[in-house]
Amino acid sequence: MATQIVMNHTGDARYHFDAEDVRAVLKAEDRFKELTLVGFTPAVRTSSGEVALTRTFDPTAEETLFFPRLVGG
Amino acid sequence: MPIFEPLLRAAEAHFRSFLAVSVRGAKALRDSFGSENDAETRGLTLLREWLSPEQLAQYQANGYFDVTGCDSGKRYRIHYGTSMNVHEIDGAGWARAGWCFVPNIYLVAGDVMLAQKIALETDELGALAVAKEFSPSRR
Repeated sequence: MATQIVMNHTGDARYHFDAEDVRAVLKAEDRFKELTLVGFTPAVRTSSGEVALTRTFDPTAEETLFFPRLVGG
Repeated sequence: MPIFEPLLRAAEAHFRSFLAVSVRGAKALRDSFGSENDAETRGLTLLREWLSPEQLAQYQANGYFDVTGCDSGKRYRIHYGTSMNVHEIDGAGWARAGWCFVPNIYLVAGDVMLAQKIALETDELGALAVAKEFSPSRR
């Protein structure tokens, strides 16, 4: 089961989907596009545990974390 | 005392109404407080899940963790907080400069710190380009 984690005011929202389910994958891909369109940055963890940014939807990623655009405080 | 009976009944009704409003208000206040605490907890849980083992140990011991900028190799210390909580540090761990950059929407501290960590580790120059520098002595 893959998970998309979106940071929000409640901490985060988590969307789980089955990477084998075509409809679920399409929905997850739409969510990916919508979030990146409004400025969220997607990040994944590599097998070595490091964090990397990703620009394309990867249904096989175990976890994709979306954080909002950063601005000067 | 029949003359006071209607007055007593009215007073009792007012008192019951007052109690009901107070209980609802107290419950709303408790729920609101609870959900804020839940958000804080969720943010810190997410942060812990995404910190490296070394960063997690450092955070649990000190309330801050260090990250290495992906572009310059400089070290940054991210303290618990939602703003003015990132310090560039020297080899001895002393703060050399403060960098303030935050998400453009309201997030709890754990989320803010995680976003700052990922930004510095994956797009340091991009993060510093939007960040405002401040004197670390101000914190």
